[in-house]
Amino acid sequence: MSVKSKLFKRKNINAPSPIAKIISYTILVIWTFVVLFPLYWLAITSLKHPIDVNSGPYYIPFVDFQPSLYAWQYVLFGDLQNDTIRPYINTVIVALTSATLALILGASAAYALTRFRYNPKLGTILLFIGALLLDVVLTMVGVNWAIALAVAVAVFLILMQVLAKRFHRSLGNNDIAFWLISQRMLPPVAVVIPIYILFQRLHLLDTRTALIVTYLAVNLPIVVWLMRDYFQSIPIDLEETAAIDGASRYRIFLSIVLPLSVPGLVATFLFVLVFAWNEYLLALFLSGANAQTLPLTIAAQNATRGPQWWYMSVLILIMIAPVILIAIFLERYIAKGLLVGAVKG
Amino acid sequence: MEPTRQETATSTSATNKPKPTRKRPFSGKEGMASSVFIWPALLVVLLLSIFPLLVSLYLSFSRFKFVKGGFEVKWIGLLNYKKLLFGSEKTHFLGKMEQPTTLGWIIFIGITVLLIVTLIHYYRSDRRSTGGLIFRAIVYAILIAFAWLLVITTFSQGGRPGTMVVTWIYVFVGIVIQYAVALLLAVILTQQLPGRRFFRVIFLLPMMITPVGVAYLFRMLTDTGKGPFAPLWQAAGLGMYSWVNDPWGARIAIIIGDAWQWIPFMFIVLLAALEGQSMEQREAALVDGANRWQIFWNITMPQIIPVTITVVLIRMIEAFKIVDLPNVLTNGGPGTATESLTLHAYFSWRALDLGGSAAIAYSLLIVVTFFGIAYINILRRRFVEE
Amino acid sequence: MKLRTGIVIAVLVVVLAVVLAACSQAAPQVIEKTVVVTQVVEKEVEKEVVATPTPEAKPYEGVEVNIVTFTGPQIAEPLQRRAPDFEAMTGAKINIITVPFSDLYTKILTDAATGTNSFDAWVFAPQWMVDYILPGYMEDLTDRVANDPQIEWDDIAPFFRDFSASYNGKIYTIPLDGDFHMGYYRSDLIDSPPKTWDEYLEIAKKFQGQDLNGDGDPDFGSCVSMKRGAQAYWFIHTIAAPYIQSKGTSQGVFFNTKDMEPLVNNAAFSKALDIYNEMKDYGPPDSLNLDVGDTRALFTSGRCALSIDWGDIGTLAIDPDTSVVADKTGAMIAPGSTEVLNWDTGELVPCSEGDNCPYAVDGVNHAPYAAFGGWSGGVNAAADPKVKDAAYAFFSYMSAPAQSNEDVTIGITGFNPYRQSQFLNRELWVKAGMSPDFASNYLGAIEDSLNSPNMVLDLRIPQNQKYQQVILDTAVSQFMAGEISKEDAMKQIYDGWQELTDELGRDDQLAAYKGTLGQK
Repeated sequence: MSVKSKLFKRKNINAPSPIAKIISYTILVIWTFVVLFPLYWLAITSLKHPIDVNSGPYYIPFVDFQPSLYAWQYVLFGDLQNDTIRPYINTVIVALTSATLALILGASAAYALTRFRYNPKLGTILLFIGALLLDVVLTMVGVNWAIALAVAVAVFLILMQVLAKRFHRSLGNNDIAFWLISQRMLPPVAVVIPIYILFQRLHLLDTRTALIVTYLAVNLPIVVWLMRDYFQSIPIDLEETAAIDGASRYRIFLSIVLPLSVPGLVATFLFVLVFAWNEYLLALFLSGANAQTLPLTIAAQNATRGPQWWYMSVLILIMIAPVILIAIFLERYIAKGLLVGAVKG
Repeated sequence: MEPTRQETATSTSATNKPKPTRKRPFSGKEGMASSVFIWPALLVVLLLSIFPLLVSLYLSFSRFKFVKGGFEVKWIGLLNYKKLLFGSEKTHFLGKMEQPTTLGWIIFIGITVLLIVTLIHYYRSDRRSTGGLIFRAIVYAILIAFAWLLVITTFSQGGRPGTMVVTWIYVFVGIVIQYAVALLLAVILTQQLPGRRFFRVIFLLPMMITPVGVAYLFRMLTDTGKGPFAPLWQAAGLGMYSWVNDPWGARIAIIIGDAWQWIPFMFIVLLAALEGQSMEQREAALVDGANRWQIFWNITMPQIIPVTITVVLIRMIEAFKIVDLPNVLTNGGPGTATESLTLHAYFSWRALDLGGSAAIAYSLLIVVTFFGIAYINILRRRFVEE
Repeated sequence: MKLRTGIVIAVLVVVLAVVLAACSQAAPQVIEKTVVVTQVVEKEVEKEVVATPTPEAKPYEGVEVNIVTFTGPQIAEPLQRRAPDFEAMTGAKINIITVPFSDLYTKILTDAATGTNSFDAWVFAPQWMVDYILPGYMEDLTDRVANDPQIEWDDIAPFFRDFSASYNGKIYTIPLDGDFHMGYYRSDLIDSPPKTWDEYLEIAKKFQGQDLNGDGDPDFGSCVSMKRGAQAYWFIHTIAAPYIQSKGTSQGVFFNTKDMEPLVNNAAFSKALDIYNEMKDYGPPDSLNLDVGDTRALFTSGRCALSIDWGDIGTLAIDPDTSVVADKTGAMIAPGSTEVLNWDTGELVPCSEGDNCPYAVDGVNHAPYAAFGGWSGGVNAAADPKVKDAAYAFFSYMSAPAQSNEDVTIGITGFNPYRQSQFLNRELWVKAGMSPDFASNYLGAIEDSLNSPNMVLDLRIPQNQKYQQVILDTAVSQFMAGEISKEDAMKQIYDGWQELTDELGRDDQLAAYKGTLGQK
C-alpha cells in the first residue's frame, strides 16, 4: 500500500459524518467555554481596581467598569517588581533545565525497562535498605553523617559478598517501575524537612541547583512511566533490523526509537515542565531570597489583607503566558508525531 | 543487575512472565548499555528519595521538639499512629462511625458481592495460581474493610467521613469524571475536524496554571457574593444559601476545581495514545462493515488500555495528595468536611508537629501503595502483560 | 560483571561521601556557637549607643543584615523604604527577604533549628516568640533597650512594653505594630455603638437583610471572619475574653494558672460559642468561608453594619481606592460583658466593680484581645555580634517615634498604633486623610483598648500553633458547621489541650504560660 492511499483511507476513518460533526463541535464549544471563562475572569480581574472587585461582579470592561492597568503597573514596575522579575527568571531556568534532564534520564530508563531485563536480587535490596537504615540511625544517634554513610556502605558491601548469594528470589522490571512510581506517593509535606536538611548539609540551600535536582528526582518516575508505554507500543522489528546492520544500542535509541516516540516525548516534556514550573511547597523551603520561584509570589498575595485578587490575576497570567507559547510551539510536534505514527505500520 | 535477554534466564524468573522470546540479534555489549540506560535515573531517585523517606518514617515514630540550640527527636513508638486510629484524632482521621443507612447497606453489599464474584471468576480462570489467590483474597478483604469504613462514615445516620475517607471520595469520584470527560474530548479531537489544533491547545490551558493559582481562581469563581455566578445564584433563589455551609456543596466545588485543572492531563495522554494507535486494524474492521462504536470498543479501547492504566495510576497517586484546592478554597471547612489527608498532615506540620504529620503522611503512603499494588497487579498485569 | 558494577558504585558513593564531608561543617557545633555569642553582647551595646547620635560615624560600615518577613506590601514596605536611609546613616546594609505569610513561622523555625541561620533577624508575630526563646534562638534585648534613649521605650503602650515584647521579665522583641481586636460600626446607621456582646447581636439582627449601601441588595448585620484555618480561633477568644478575664492582663484567658487546666469547659466559653454561632445568622451566607480579608472588603464596600477586626479597617476605610465608607465608619473598643466567670465554680456571675471585676466601666467588663500581638522585630542569637547590633539598631530606628508615628498613619505599611504619642497626636491622622471626627473616634477606641489594664494576651506557650490553629480552630469550626454539638466541641478542645500539655510536659508548659503572663 502506498503512503498516499494510506492517507486517503485514514481520512475515511477519521472524517466524521455531519451529525457527528455538529455534536462534536457543540461539545468542543461548551468545553472551550468551560476552559476559557475562568481565564477570561482572570484577565478582567487583572484590569480591575480593588473596589470593582469587591463590589462586583462586573463582567465587561468599559461597559461595566472602567479598566485600569493599576495592578499590571504594580506587579511589573511598581513595588512588586523585585518579587516578580527575579522569581520569573528562576522559574524559567529551573523548570526548563529540570524538565529537560528528567526527559533525558527518564526516557533512557524507560527504554531500558522495556528492552532489557533486570533481575535485582531481593537480598541485595533488603541489604541496601538495611544499610540505609543503619546510616539514618547512626546519624540520628549523633555520628557525623559522612562517617555513618561510610560505615553503612562498608557493611552493605561486606554483607553482600557473604549473604547475597544465598538469596535466589529476584525482582523484575515491573517491580523496578513500581518502585519508581511509588516514590511519588508520599506527599511533599512529609519529605520537605528531610530534603531541606539534605541540601543544607550540601550548602545548596537557596540555589537553583537544589530546585533543579529536586524536581528532577520528583518528576523522573512520571517520565519513566509515560515513556515506558510509548516504547512498548513501538514494534521491535525495526530495532532488530538495525542491530543486524551493526548499529549499537545507543545509536538505535537515538536514531530510531526517539524519533518514533516524538508525540509521547513532547507530551511528557510538557507535563514535567508544568509540574516543575508550578511547584510550591518544595520551592518554598529550598529557596530564600535568591532562588524563589513565581508560585511563591502568587501565594504571597494572600497575606494579612486577604487575597489581592487583582495582583494575583496579573501574576497568574504572566506565569502561564510562556507555557502557553511552549504548548503552541510543541503542538506542531505532536501533529508531526501523528504522521510518523501513521506511516510506521 | 544483569541484562537477561538470553532465553535461559527468562524462563527461570519466577516473578515475571517471560517476554515473547524472539531471536535476539543484539550482541554481548548489551551489558554495559543496560547499565548506562537505567542507572542515572535510578541513582537520582535513590539519592533524593530514599533518605527523606526513611527520615520521615523515623519521624512518624517520634516527637519533634525544640531544645536548647537545636531540636530533639524523641522516639515514642507507635503513639502517633495510635492517636490517629484509636485516640483523639480518630474521628478527624477516619470519621464518625454510625449505623449505615439502607443506601449504605446496598452500596456495601454491592461492593462485597462484586469483589467476591471477581474472586470466583479468577479462581475459575486458567491464570489462577495459589500465590495469586492468596494475594487477591487479602486485597479484597482489605477493600471490603475500606468499603465498610466508607459506608459507616459517609452513608450512615449521623456519621461523618474523616480526612481519609474524604480523600478517597476526591480520588475516585474525581478520576471517574476526569477520565470520562478527557476520553470524550480526546476521541472527538482525533477526528479530522477543522480547527482541532486550536482546541487542543485551548484544552491544555488549565493544566498550566500553578495549582495554588487554580485554587485562588476557583475561590473567585465560587464566591456567591461577588463572583461571576453570583447573579445566577441569586436568580435561582439561592441568595441566602452558600455552598460552603454544606459539606457536599463544598466537596463538589473542590472536585470540580480539581477536574477542571487535571482533565487536560488525561486528555493529552489519551490523545497521544489515540493518535499513536495503528490504523490497519481499524481499516480492516471498517472494510468488514463494523460501525464506529464497535471499532471504538473492540479495537481502539484495547489499544489505549495500557496508557489508560498508567494515566489513571499517575492521576490516582497525584490525586491522593490533593492539598492546594481544599487549602485555599475552604481551608478544609466547613468543619472538617473538605479536609484531605495531605491537608490534615499539612496543618499538623505547620504547627510543627512533625511526628504527627509524618504519621498521617505514612498512612497515606500505605493506603496509596495498597491501592497502587492492587491496581497494578489486578489490572495492569491482566491487560498489559498477558 | 555485577560485582564489578557494585564495587564501582560503592567506591563512587564513598568518594562522594568524603567530598561532602569535607565541604560541610559538622552540625552539633551550633550549640557552642550560641553560648559564645551571648557573652559578647554587653560590650557591643555601648558602642552602638554611643554611635547612634552621630550618624557620620557609620558604626556598621560593611555589615549586612538579612531580615526576613512575609511578602508584603504590608510590613515589608516600610522596612524596605527606610532601609536605604538607615544605611546612609549607619553603613549597615539591610536585606529584606520575604516569604509567603502562611509559612513564615515554619520557615523561620526551620532555619533556626537546623542551624542554617540564613536570617539574622526576623519581623514576626510575638505570639510565636516563646517557641524561639526556649531553645535559645532569640537574643535577649533587655540591656540594649535599657541603654537606648532613641527608642523612647516608655512611650510604647504598657501592654506592648510589659507583656507583648517581654518574656519572664526580659525584652526579646521590638514592637513595630500594635495588633488587637476592636469593633467597627457604621456611624451613619448606629448612634450608640454596642457595649456588650448581647447588644452587638441585637444591633446586628436589626440590620441583617437591610440595604446598607444603596444598591438595592440586602446587606448584613455583622461581618466577622469564621473561616477555618484563618482567624476564627482568635475571634472566639475575642468574644470569650470579657467573660473569662476580669482581673487584669496577668490573669489570662486560656489556662488556669494553678494547674494548667484549660478554661474552655465552662459557662463563659459556652456562652462565647453561642454568640459566635448566632453571629453567623446575621452575616453573609458564606460567613463560614470568609477570612478577615473578605470581611474587610465587605465592610469597606458598605455591606456590613458591624464588624470585629484588627486596626486595619481604620486605615482601609479612608483609602478611596478600596472604600465607600470613609466618612461613615466608627470604631469602638471590643464589646464586653456584664457577667464574668467564677473560676472556681465554672459559672457566670454578675460583674460587680468592687469585687470580681475591678476594671469594669459602667458595669461592663471589657477585655480587648491582643490577638496575634503585632509585628515585632526579633534578633537571631546565632548571628554575628556586629550583625546583631546592627539589626537591633535598625529595629530601634524603625520603632522610634520619628519614623513609626508617620508609618502607622499610612495604610500600606500595615502598621497600627502602639505608642502613646501615636494616638494622642491626632494631627498626623487628619493629615493622612482621616476626618477629624473619625480620627478622634478611631484613636479613642485604640486608646481605650490599649490603656485597659485588662487587655488579653495571646497564647504564647510552646506549640501554641497546635493549641490554637489545630485543636481549637478545628473544634470551633466543626461546631460552627454543625458537625458537632457545643458540648462535644468544648470537650474536644479540653481533651486535646490536656493531651498536648501532658505530651509536652505539664510543668514546663505551666512555667512558660506563667512566664508570658509575667507571673512568677
